[in-house]
Amino acid sequence: MTSATTSATTGVETPAEVLVETVTTVNGREVRATVPARLHVADFLRQHLGLTGTHVGCEQGACGMCTVIVDGEAVKSCLMLACQLDGRNVRTVEDLAEGDELNALQQAFKEEHALQCGFCSPGFLMTATALAHQGYRPGREEIREEIAGVLCRCTGYDTVVTAIERWFAEHPQTAAPSAPDALPADTDTTATQG
Amino acid sequence: MTILEDPATGARRDEAGARRRVIGTSQLRKEDDRLLRGDGRFTDDVEPARVLYMAVARCPYPHARISHLDASAAAALPGVEHVLTPADVRRDTEPLTVLRPVPGAPKLPYYALAQDVATHEGQPVVSVVASSRHVAEDALELLDITYEPLPHVVDVLAALEPDAPVLHPSVLDSNLLAANSDGSGDPDARFAEADVVVEGRFRINRVTALPMETRGVVAEWRPGARELTVHCSSQVPHLIRKQLAETLRLGESEIRAVASDVGGGFGQKLGVFPEDVLACLHAIALRRPVKWSEDRAEHFRGSTHARESVHDYRIAADSTGRILAMTNVYATDIGGWNSPFGSAQLSSVVFNGPYKIDDGYTERRVTLTNKTPVGAYRGYGQPEVNFAYERLMDQLARRLDLDPVELRARNMVTPQDMPWRNPTGAVYDSGDYERCLRMAAEAVDWAGHRAAGRTPRADGRLVGIGFASFVERTGYASSRFLARRGSAFGAHESVTLRANRSGGIDAYTGVSTMGQSSETAFAQVVADVFGTDYEVVRVHAGDTATSPLNTGAFASRTMIAASGALRAAAGELAAKTRRIAAWQLDVAVDDVEIAGSVARVRADHARAVPLAAVYTTAITGQGMPPEEEPGLEATAHFEPSDAAYSFGTAAAQVSVDPETGEFDVERFVMVHDGGTVVNPTIVEGQVRGGLAQGFGAALSEELRYDADTGQLVNGSMVDYFVPTAADLPQVELLHTEVPSPVTPFGVRGVGEVGTIPPGAAVANAVCDALADHGIELTALPVTPEAIWSALAGRSAAREPELTPTPADLPDGGVEY
Repeated sequence: MTSATTSATTGVETPAEVLVETVTTVNGREVRATVPARLHVADFLRQHLGLTGTHVGCEQGACGMCTVIVDGEAVKSCLMLACQLDGRNVRTVEDLAEGDELNALQQAFKEEHALQCGFCSPGFLMTATALAHQGYRPGREEIREEIAGVLCRCTGYDTVVTAIERWFAEHPQTAAPSAPDALPADTDTTATQG
Repeated sequence: MTILEDPATGARRDEAGARRRVIGTSQLRKEDDRLLRGDGRFTDDVEPARVLYMAVARCPYPHARISHLDASAAAALPGVEHVLTPADVRRDTEPLTVLRPVPGAPKLPYYALAQDVATHEGQPVVSVVASSRHVAEDALELLDITYEPLPHVVDVLAALEPDAPVLHPSVLDSNLLAANSDGSGDPDARFAEADVVVEGRFRINRVTALPMETRGVVAEWRPGARELTVHCSSQVPHLIRKQLAETLRLGESEIRAVASDVGGGFGQKLGVFPEDVLACLHAIALRRPVKWSEDRAEHFRGSTHARESVHDYRIAADSTGRILAMTNVYATDIGGWNSPFGSAQLSSVVFNGPYKIDDGYTERRVTLTNKTPVGAYRGYGQPEVNFAYERLMDQLARRLDLDPVELRARNMVTPQDMPWRNPTGAVYDSGDYERCLRMAAEAVDWAGHRAAGRTPRADGRLVGIGFASFVERTGYASSRFLARRGSAFGAHESVTLRANRSGGIDAYTGVSTMGQSSETAFAQVVADVFGTDYEVVRVHAGDTATSPLNTGAFASRTMIAASGALRAAAGELAAKTRRIAAWQLDVAVDDVEIAGSVARVRADHARAVPLAAVYTTAITGQGMPPEEEPGLEATAHFEPSDAAYSFGTAAAQVSVDPETGEFDVERFVMVHDGGTVVNPTIVEGQVRGGLAQGFGAALSEELRYDADTGQLVNGSMVDYFVPTAADLPQVELLHTEVPSPVTPFGVRGVGEVGTIPPGAAVANAVCDALADHGIELTALPVTPEAIWSALAGRSAAREPELTPTPADLPDGGVEY
């Protein structure tokens, strides 16, 4: 679908920004949106839905600031277009806390001093949350490898690894295959990496 | 003196064992909940109604004349609202100002858009504002710009050659922006009488801070109110306000700068950048908010880089290993212009490191090249010289067949020497340097390693251990020195404390929140001094409209200066609180103490009034003692008398494959003294984080330019290798805790120290492992390729030395 908009000050009609209708589920709520075809998911979440906890760091899929969970898998949302979300289920950092309380993973980050400026924290939190969907408890070295797609310039990572390790140790159910947003066994996720 | 080998996390008690101390405890951070819930407010999260978006066209060449520029097609693109060209900027602004000028350097004309000639790739040329970033970038494609490429130079030594193209010919007749020197004694005489001289040329790689949040600005202008509100990702909002006022020809009272959450600064986010000025100009012209969010490609070319320099170091010693003299003549690359905080001058200030040198000389040649400007970066000159002097210390030990640990110990400044003035005038305040060295040596079993000899492991790998001892200047000298140097900032911090009717205390500071945990540490000091609960102190950071005019968060100075202001303000507020409570309790003031949420009689805790009631009394003025003014608020300013020097020793253990040069850092021990610790967990976090950036610069990071094209060849996140969680060695931290005599509570700065020793420690370990091969690494980063090349005897052609300038130079502008 294509559409046109009008500039408020010049009155000139803009050409051919290709717009696409998308129906998706974000943090448990159905979202119907008409988005530019070239809009990536991170900008969609931030600019259209006001979910600014998902950050943008490189728009090359290298830094991991924009990591969200799509259909149970950690996805770098700068590499996926908003229109590709149609029919999919998205979870962002804003969905982690339980009411006014940090969830156990967030609390572990706080207690282990796993963040300083905090810009990268949503990326680590969503990566770790997705890691739990694999259904087993990873070791420390494995955690290091798994979170290597999210960069941090403040902490040196050690406390991040410790926080995730502690979360798995103290909440073994997080690694159970029956985690709340785990995938149905037959869902194909291979296409989610935009 | 106490040694915190395993920093306590529990509460402390004062001498009498009475009151709970908050300073020295690992309080959980004030900042964390919002950041963990995705509820931080970084600059790009600020989205005013009717905001427009800016994109910037940048010069693709290292050096080019803009011979033709036509923006009409871009301006006509639907959705484009405004275009700024170099002529507009020339007409409407003053050149960007420099916060921290190089002493003796002339002013270089530098506007927010390149005027006629651009001197580096990435320099802004045109800016466009449109209804979306997409449309604004579409418009950049429609700009008709003709560049006439000019001869360029990207190598710092080549830039000093007589035939090099001159970047700023209207001001300078060479690329030497300024040269200055510092020193004491008679190093020439000492070299003449020395038994041994070691010397070398050390090349330091160009790296960049790379905060995960790029730069950004949101500008909003209300013409009727004459109020420009600028949200920015900055370490120094009050300096942003000053610089914008100067550049935009506004009064400071017309500008409000707000830096709420900053996603990492590391020295890079000091001062106004061209894009800040451009966004303001657009917003003023359009009367609509304008936002610019830097993308990472822009960040690699349009922000600042750091460190690149070439040091020619010499050390003279007698046959016992006593150092007689040390000199460093170095060229430091400042890129295309004198950026707001350019040229890392601490390479001069602490060029002798922790060693007692009476005869020394350091000469700095600040050099322009056609590359992205160099600005401040965590460490600010100290990692560079540490690599050089610590590499030479190991070479000296080998030459004299001495134990490198003993050689270091023999030459270190001792506790009895201090306060001790180094050859540049820096005064080392206190500390036991040798103890840290010995602790590091013991931790890595240096004695066992020495005894074992260099037998290869079964897999052929050789094991080496290397040390790097260091000092770190934290904070800087008082403003009486700055006044002589032309710095556009002071040395103090200021804070306002204000009681509220809920029983809490609001603290207002111009120090923005960028990961250094100042909200937490400030609240700890207030709670500790005042006596109230940590939980009820709330820190409001980074807004010039609410905070007293301060200096800012850089130079590992925040706690050194702010803790004095916090202590004074909290003391003043507590005194008045106790006077009011004493009146209400009908006892003498000296009989009243503040404890948690109440003021109470010391001898009878049952007689108490809630602090909320005392505060309400003061705020309403109802029921006040007759001689008291209403209100309960205090503003205090504090300037430390001098810098405090953190210190320590790092030790690295590596294993090296002598066939390929491939190596592993198997252990890394960091022994560090940051003086009195306000929050042990935060201090440890700062040290670990600094080490991570230090390892990056030491092992994998290097911004490379192609000499022929002048292009940055690895300016992206996929080509520039910052360490990931899988890359870093395990770090073992040990602390000593010697209070500084020159700061409140005895604190020393801790923000930058980790960046200093990794390069030297790892390189020394590699050279120790390969001592039988006789290689001496002289450049960063240390890579398998560099080691392999050294093993194969493939070294660069010998270049002419940088020799001291015979004539008198202006002194180095060193802030002691």
